[in-house]
Amino acid sequence: MYPKWLWAVFALPGVVWLILLFLTPFYAVIGVAFGGVDPIFQNPLPAWNPLDWDFTSFLDTLRGFLPGRTYWGIFLRTTEYVAIALSLCLLIGYPVAYYISRHTRRTKSLLLALLILPFWVSYLMRMLAWVNLFAPEGYVNGFLRWSHLVTTPPDWLNGNPVSVILGLVYGYIPYLILPLLASLDRIDKSLLEAARDLGASPFSAFLQVTLPLSKTGILGASVIIALPMFGDYYTPNIVSGSPKTSMLGNQIDIYFHGGPQPSVGAALTLILSAFLGVLMAYYMYTVSKAQRESQA
Amino acid sequence: MKDRDPEAKPATTALRGSLSRRRALKTIGGAGLVASAAPFIVRRAFADSAQPMGPGGIPLARPEHPVTLPMYEDPLKAGMAPETGGDFVVYVYADYIDKGLVNEFCKAHGVNMQLTTYDSQDEAITKQATHAVRPDVVNITPDRLAQGVAGKLIKPINHSYIPNLAANVWDGLQSPFYDVGSQYTVPYTVYKTGIGWRTDKVSEDIAKLDNPWSIFWNAKKYTGYVGVLDDARESLVMAMLYRQFYDINTEDPAEIDKALTDLKALIPICNPKINITEYQTLATKQSWLHQSWSGDLLGAYVNYLPAGDDGSSLRFWSAPKGKGPIQNDCWAVSSSTTKPVLAHMFLNYILDQDVAFNNFAKFTGYQPPQKSMTADALIAKKIVPETLRTAVMGPEDVGAGSLQECTLTSAGQKLWQSAYAKFNSGT
Repeated sequence: MYPKWLWAVFALPGVVWLILLFLTPFYAVIGVAFGGVDPIFQNPLPAWNPLDWDFTSFLDTLRGFLPGRTYWGIFLRTTEYVAIALSLCLLIGYPVAYYISRHTRRTKSLLLALLILPFWVSYLMRMLAWVNLFAPEGYVNGFLRWSHLVTTPPDWLNGNPVSVILGLVYGYIPYLILPLLASLDRIDKSLLEAARDLGASPFSAFLQVTLPLSKTGILGASVIIALPMFGDYYTPNIVSGSPKTSMLGNQIDIYFHGGPQPSVGAALTLILSAFLGVLMAYYMYTVSKAQRESQA
Repeated sequence: MKDRDPEAKPATTALRGSLSRRRALKTIGGAGLVASAAPFIVRRAFADSAQPMGPGGIPLARPEHPVTLPMYEDPLKAGMAPETGGDFVVYVYADYIDKGLVNEFCKAHGVNMQLTTYDSQDEAITKQATHAVRPDVVNITPDRLAQGVAGKLIKPINHSYIPNLAANVWDGLQSPFYDVGSQYTVPYTVYKTGIGWRTDKVSEDIAKLDNPWSIFWNAKKYTGYVGVLDDARESLVMAMLYRQFYDINTEDPAEIDKALTDLKALIPICNPKINITEYQTLATKQSWLHQSWSGDLLGAYVNYLPAGDDGSSLRFWSAPKGKGPIQNDCWAVSSSTTKPVLAHMFLNYILDQDVAFNNFAKFTGYQPPQKSMTADALIAKKIVPETLRTAVMGPEDVGAGSLQECTLTSAGQKLWQSAYAKFNSGT
């Protein structure tokens, strides 16, 4: 009834979007990493032709990731912060998504709206709100003193890694809950009923059925928040500002923000992308494996 | 007599008249040769100075080695009427000029004010070079002047439109080392780099220490409330001055490494924050001890004190002339201006005594180098408290013998930037 190409046309806006707003800028970053700088203005001069690529700066930067070299320490710190923040997001976010998916009916829409509510306020503003909350004389320390939980409240904002990790959790957790919720919603409830009919306890049914079936959702939601967390630089800037808590994104910011070495900033971006590409590849492998299993 | 590139003028003059085709081709060919040879010619013109070269072969200016910038075009003719109508684009750092004063100027001349802001000189240069912004006047720092001139982003100025330069500005900045004869710029603000602190939190009298910079390396008890300027040059220079090393434009990797080692030593001692918000954090007690620009202490007093705080705890120390960095920044007429006469008049307006005073006292807190604006006068008018007298500069602070962070070669900039990135990584 309809020509075959009609459905392919539906993908066209997405393809154009990807080419214009992802592939072209990404190729520009590659061009900058392997290109030069304008001798007067020091703007990056991307090398568009691969035959003109100069690998010197990239290889120097890559060598900086070897143990004990320039970027090794900050790479480890970034990975550590992201891993802890991601684990906390899952620990907090999964039960929330599970509760909304399984145990709410009339209040589901309201809870969904509440989950989306943080998106109404910009990330930057939410982080700045944290500065007021966690200031030495802020509400959090005020509460800690009032409740006599501690006599000397911690300096949350003075280069405290805990604050940076909590900032990441606070900033990114809504992005984890929503896809996780969608994934949990898609699980066929008759499978759970079958597990219970076969004598599984609620906890056992969760472990044997729900958790494995939500694995792709967990991975997908984790990828969605881990990628921007790795490149984040404003969270440590706002809630800490100390070199002790700076992340790899801060290094990229320094080199891209000005000066004669934008190629180093671009090289750092590419190396980080390659590392994240490995995580992404594992996610895609898991999803395709799950699809194959469900079709079998 | 203004100095200018002797090779550039014949080409521009020859193109003005009507030409035969043969003559035109010869001229274009000649112009092409001149253009391609320009950096070489400029380098030769300055060959005797033995100064390191910057963008476009322009020597890097130092207080002890002033530079006359090359002229690639003639300044505007004198006695022309100002343009009216349309937009007048002022390109400046955010919150660095009183919008009301700019608006007043634009209203008086029948143009629409367009205040366009940037976050850094890098952004400003890039956006002008790519024509993303086409300003009429631009705020530029002396270390970017060679880029502005070599890249033909700014135009030479005609002093006949700017009488306030000679009348009101400090003598030492009438013909500054970075732009001998003020061929391109007029000075806007002056400031020095020093130490800002709160006496209600810091017990030491920093000004009386043998080496005041050492306070940062002895600030364990102030951990969490110490700050260093988020600026590659300033932060590393602080470590150099701590060691009493005054060649702050050095490109010697060993000296830069030494400064980096000292700076990194601060992290376990006092875990400094890296930012440029000391104008706010010192005022609100979020920081107690901060490497600071003098203008930020004045700005803190003028704009950021919380209710009930009279600012009497704020202090500023800076080293005597030649031992601590001073800086200034400038206004220039952009090459993209469509209103060159009005742009000149804006430069004159900003140097007007009252305008400069109001802009300083009611908005920026950054001091203009005006003859009338002495520390005594500002204290008498209660603009600045006696306790911050040290944050006010005088004409004696500028000129030969002063210490100023100047433009580096590209290789030098890489060394400083990489060292700063290492400090920032905290590893």
